[in-house]
Amino acid sequence: MADSPAPLLRVENIHVRLGGELILREVSFDLAPHTTLSVIGASGCGKTTLLRAIAGLIDAERGRVLLGNENVESLAPNRRGMVYLNQEPLLFPHLNLFDNVAFGLRLRRFDDSAIRERVRELLSQLELEGLELRRPDELSGGQRQRVAFGRALAVDPALLLLDEPFSNLDADTRKSMQEVFKRLAHERGTAAVFVTHDLKEAMRVGDRFALIRAGRVYTYRDRDEFCADPASGVDREAAFWRDFSKTGSGEPG
Amino acid sequence: MMRRILAWTLCGSLLSPLILLVVLSLARHWTWPRLLPAELQARQWQDLIADASTLGPIVLRSLGIGTGVAILATALGFFSSRSVARHPRQGPLLALLHLPFAVSPVVLGVSLLYLFLRLHLAGHLAGVMLAHLIFAYAYAVILLSGFWTPKMRALEEMAVSLGAQRWQLWLEVLMPLARPLLLVCLFQAFMISWFDYALTLLIGDGQISTLTVALYQYFSSGDIRLAATCALLLLAPPLLALLMNQRLLSATVVTALEAHGG
Repeated sequence: MADSPAPLLRVENIHVRLGGELILREVSFDLAPHTTLSVIGASGCGKTTLLRAIAGLIDAERGRVLLGNENVESLAPNRRGMVYLNQEPLLFPHLNLFDNVAFGLRLRRFDDSAIRERVRELLSQLELEGLELRRPDELSGGQRQRVAFGRALAVDPALLLLDEPFSNLDADTRKSMQEVFKRLAHERGTAAVFVTHDLKEAMRVGDRFALIRAGRVYTYRDRDEFCADPASGVDREAAFWRDFSKTGSGEPG
Repeated sequence: MMRRILAWTLCGSLLSPLILLVVLSLARHWTWPRLLPAELQARQWQDLIADASTLGPIVLRSLGIGTGVAILATALGFFSSRSVARHPRQGPLLALLHLPFAVSPVVLGVSLLYLFLRLHLAGHLAGVMLAHLIFAYAYAVILLSGFWTPKMRALEEMAVSLGAQRWQLWLEVLMPLARPLLLVCLFQAFMISWFDYALTLLIGDGQISTLTVALYQYFSSGDIRLAATCALLLLAPPLLALLMNQRLLSATVVTALEAHGG
């Protein structure tokens, strides 16, 4: 990714310590505009910490985060122009679907007609029309995640930070959400850092790839380089399915 | 059948003191061993109404103190409870907040009187309110600290990530979500102040009388029927608020369950 001439996001030598333990060390990478970076790693390797440090929800011990040319390290999370999406949809339970999507726009004092127009457009793209007045507890898991995604997109963030957003969904809904994410991120030109522990998900949604191991982030020039690295697990996954198709059993990677 | 008997027993045991007060307030010549008064009259109520010039300001003062204490305790408690709930030493802090309830109000009142006399707060409305506030605030923090669950923290972060400034976070997210609990807290804090006797008597130094203090004075004067009538007057606002809050209390339980259920 160092070949990108004008990165949207630049993470420089970030160190993050939590409870005395160094979770991330010397993390540096760039992200080009309109690109999704898939970050893969095992549970507990620091994926969430990476996103939260970029979002400003936790403080980095040292290092810099630049968005465009601006150093956002000293900015509060609400002024960084990024939206962090959790594993849970975290819809506001006191608001209906429409008001949840409109939440960020109302904070920014958009006028009512602009809010209506933008929310309706998003609800149409997310296939949520007709559900505007439903409360979060009246929606399915997939619908809630769509609303959370729409709520994030509504404010046109410079960068989306997605923390395994589809991990709590069933396989079919998950796949459909991955497609929705890809389509909307592409249509709207939104850049994203998408962390997951699921290799297939990472391969589906990502344009670029990174791997977190022992607190360090390893980035790859392209998909081929990522697939060729034994540490990515792509070989093991492929070997599993190869063995499985031959013998009906295999050792998953 | 058993369930019905139990329900009636429960209702009876809860309502019997109230019924007794009503009968006492209307009784005339209720002598032992009669189970019911021989005659009913409205004299006690007429006496209270006739004494409106004395009792009216006391009722208004009690309402004012109770309302002021309830609002202050709930507002301060809501903000403080967040810091307490997220403090690394949350346990000891909450234990400390239980201290006013572990000490006798008389003991606390005497200690406070010693302090308030030096601060020229004894015998003043502000001193009485401050003394009530110590209890009501501690109660509010204890009650409201349960609101700050990990899920609430995640919702806060979500709102901030979407661009909420600090005041917007409180106004648009935290206060609406805490609304049922805040109303319960307001109600309970009001009750703490409204029913307080020992602190009001000690800190008020005989200068500040509330309805609860007046009730004890009627009781001490030996007029049990007038005291019962006054007690009904004392019970009226909390009972009214309780009836209005019935739905609210069940909503609070649901909210708490949802919050803890993640």
